[in-house]
Amino acid sequence: MWGVIKSVLAAFFGVQRERQRQEDFENGSPVAFIIVGVVLAVVLVVVVALVAVQASR
Amino acid sequence: MAPKLPPHHPLEQSTSAVAGGQASAHHSPPRGIMRWLLTTNHKEIGSLYLIFSLVMFFIGGIFALVVRAELFQPGLQLVQPEFFNQMTTMHGLIMVFGAVMPAFTGLANWMIPLQVGAPDMALPRLNNFSFWLLPVAFALLLSTMLMPGGGPNFGWTFYAPLSTTYAPPSTTFFILSLHIAGISSILGAINIVATILNMRAPGMRLMDMPLFVWTWLITAFLLIAVMPVLAGVITMMLMDINFGTSFFNAAGGGDPVLFQHLFWFFGHPEVYIMILPAFGIVSAIIPTFARKRLFGYASMVYATASIAVLSFLVWAHHMFVVGLPLVAELFFMYTTMLIAVPTGVKVFNWITTLFRGSITFEPPMLFALAFVVLFTIGGFSGLMLAIAPADFQYHDTYFVVAHFHYVLVPGAVFAIMAGVYYWLPKWTGHYPNVKLSQWHFWLSVIGVNLTFFPMHFSGLAGMPRRIPDYALQFADFNLVSSLGALLFGASQLVFVAVVILCVRGGEKAPAKAWEGAEDLEWSVPSPAPLHTFDTPPNFRPHEH
Amino acid sequence: MRKSLVWMTGCLGFALMVPLAMANAWNMPVGVTDVSREIHSLHMIIFWICVVIGVVVFGVMFYSLFRFRRSQGAKASNFHENTTVEVIWTAVPLLILVGMAIPATATLKKMYDASDAELDIMITGQQWRWRYEYLGEDVAFNSNMSTPRAQIQGDEPRGEHYLLEVDEPLVLPVNRKVRFLMTADDVIHSWWVPDLAVKQDTIPGFINENWVRINEPGIYRGQCTELCGMDHGFMPIVVEALEEEEFDAWLAERKEAAEQEAMGVDREWELEELMERGEAVYGSICASCHQAEGQGAPPAFPALADNQQLIDDLDWHLDKILNGVSGSAMPAFRGTLNPVEIAAVTTWTRNAWGNDTGDAVQPAEIAERLSD
Repeated sequence: MWGVIKSVLAAFFGVQRERQRQEDFENGSPVAFIIVGVVLAVVLVVVVALVAVQASR
Repeated sequence: MAPKLPPHHPLEQSTSAVAGGQASAHHSPPRGIMRWLLTTNHKEIGSLYLIFSLVMFFIGGIFALVVRAELFQPGLQLVQPEFFNQMTTMHGLIMVFGAVMPAFTGLANWMIPLQVGAPDMALPRLNNFSFWLLPVAFALLLSTMLMPGGGPNFGWTFYAPLSTTYAPPSTTFFILSLHIAGISSILGAINIVATILNMRAPGMRLMDMPLFVWTWLITAFLLIAVMPVLAGVITMMLMDINFGTSFFNAAGGGDPVLFQHLFWFFGHPEVYIMILPAFGIVSAIIPTFARKRLFGYASMVYATASIAVLSFLVWAHHMFVVGLPLVAELFFMYTTMLIAVPTGVKVFNWITTLFRGSITFEPPMLFALAFVVLFTIGGFSGLMLAIAPADFQYHDTYFVVAHFHYVLVPGAVFAIMAGVYYWLPKWTGHYPNVKLSQWHFWLSVIGVNLTFFPMHFSGLAGMPRRIPDYALQFADFNLVSSLGALLFGASQLVFVAVVILCVRGGEKAPAKAWEGAEDLEWSVPSPAPLHTFDTPPNFRPHEH
Repeated sequence: MRKSLVWMTGCLGFALMVPLAMANAWNMPVGVTDVSREIHSLHMIIFWICVVIGVVVFGVMFYSLFRFRRSQGAKASNFHENTTVEVIWTAVPLLILVGMAIPATATLKKMYDASDAELDIMITGQQWRWRYEYLGEDVAFNSNMSTPRAQIQGDEPRGEHYLLEVDEPLVLPVNRKVRFLMTADDVIHSWWVPDLAVKQDTIPGFINENWVRINEPGIYRGQCTELCGMDHGFMPIVVEALEEEEFDAWLAERKEAAEQEAMGVDREWELEELMERGEAVYGSICASCHQAEGQGAPPAFPALADNQQLIDDLDWHLDKILNGVSGSAMPAFRGTLNPVEIAAVTTWTRNAWGNDTGDAVQPAEIAERLSD
């Protein structure tokens, strides 16, 4: 699970080692990546929103 | 574009006829106009899309030249403000929905099956339908200009209530035509997704796909996500105009700002719909003519995906001055600034690909390089516009006009032209004339910069957009812009000449028309026969 | 070689544009408020950041294009993907952006703080003029473009402030915080004066807030920046910033004039008097749609000259002026014109261009209708 999160975070940042990428794409189903991706996208929105709320104080 | 019809190979037909008598009836296409009306072949439909978009490019271009001619000097000389507003509106609508989007769909139709090794698109009849909706939509849209009260005159963003309560009577037809064009886009996108996900050659994994295919896959998802939002918002307009609802009418308790939220929730992803496939084209051309692998294939895919995700989170940066709450301003400022990061990654990747390559400057490469430079300039002004406090000064001025024309003209349009030059040998079997192509390139680059660079200055100096006449201090900038526009417009005639000459003849191109080209489309003969990959190709994943 | 020369000339051309961009008429004005100065400096910082990044990025690019030409015997190497480089070029822009976001946030917070204003002004956008109301002071007026049509059509030489001049400017004091409350009667407009760094959409059904504290007296010009229909380009804004005492004197004078006008409601007006006043009101308010000769621009803007319904039915006529026509461009004028002006313009339209009804509509009559 942690590996999936790390890979998705790397994708968000846009940088990934080729070896790690190969491994990710060997590992069967993409469903785990999609779920984690959606969740982390929501987390990103919440984080930016929280920063904005904090900054507007 | 307009390729000489590829010869039918009787041999191929007879092989498929073996499968049964019905198949041979299926394979003898009707002649003349019916052939084009009924075609389900991805190459023919691709050509239709491209020809349609070229026609629209010239119609939209003529509208732009009317605008530039009126703005050539202060005062009203040629047209009245009502007509001027119709020209700016129609120019925007036609270029966005009629020229750029269909051009990319045409390239997708032609190239995606060839690049993934599929015999055709997944849904060929749907493909025919989605193309033929377009001429209907745009004939209807153009006809509104002949209706009493004139055509749409409220800008391509058609903000309510100017586009509802205060709109000309033809607006209902405008809404219908956008609905038809929207249906065409959604169907086209569904077809592309189905083709890419289901019809790749055996052994081609997602991360083996050429970047043009990747960027189109992501673009298609964006289209499927946002075109219904556009359909929804124009339906609400339709109800406001004809059925007495008050979605956007403040007097009836409605909310004009709601319109803008809905429009830009469609509109901002739409901006990326018009640029992501361009990234894909440029990412194919630069490695080919630098004779070197793309520096970061995976980063390019990831950056495209993250641009697509972020494009849903930035829409209100078009609305910084409508009076959003402070928190919303900050949120959209931060997300908009974030989107600069993956865009930067793309530019850095292209440049690193050039570094220590073995570079030649064929016409497609010229356009791709100009794309990188001039798109980046558009990116810089985009970064400036992201700074919300400064946007209070930039918003709705010519600075914005300069910004989005830099990303759309030397951005999207140059990428389309680069793609056309790149794949013309595959389509027609001939190389485009090099001398003429170079003339086209240099005239276009000079014209585009003369037109749009001074707009930065007139905008900063205080000239609002969409005005038919202007104060005297803006006269010099506008004069230069108008001359540049004339040059740019005229030089596109050279482009048409290149394409026509290339269809009719020219230096013969081999299957692999460019030395450094790697993808599957270069494994079929030039010109590509009407039917390719009847049996799936042998795909060897070359390392990206 | 020739190609790279052309490229280099191109780059040089762009580089030359940078100092030119510093010249005043080419750049964003510094303006005359603290906020406008801050915005200008944000603009210049982000501009220079872009210039530096541009020089580096395009420098590497053109060096590569020049140095690694195949015609010069360059052989392609085969390197690709380098995690360190990629992390750097993702992280560095991110840090620069965070660095930009901090001052931008601070300025934005300042712009959003309209508290403790000493003067409130209601700004209303209408097709195609601005209306200013000094709240609590009983002073209100419309501000129309004063550039003659003859200049626009090219029949007269164009003046210095062509398209940027009005019949009545918005007068403001310096050194006092002035709050703007902004709305619109018909479509969305946008009120922009670059020197004040105030740009705010005025939206029907919404009241937006903005504020300004002007540091220097002077005349500042701007325009409507949101497409609002036919005459969007002819909706200028002029702000006249006065020293505080001068402003107080001006406001007192305007208040007195408003009182005089209010008294005018009670007396009987002669036809000629009403016609004279009505012609002026018509010219500044009605003529932009219904045209100078009352011929209108059908179908959007109906003709008034020779309009049988208008001639026959005074009640219908007054109802349209007072309450507007919903679903059309005709606004309700009950709130924006005073009884004298409404009476005068009604009289004018009932007697001009051969409408010859002979009606002299009295301000008192209008005042009575308004109080109903």
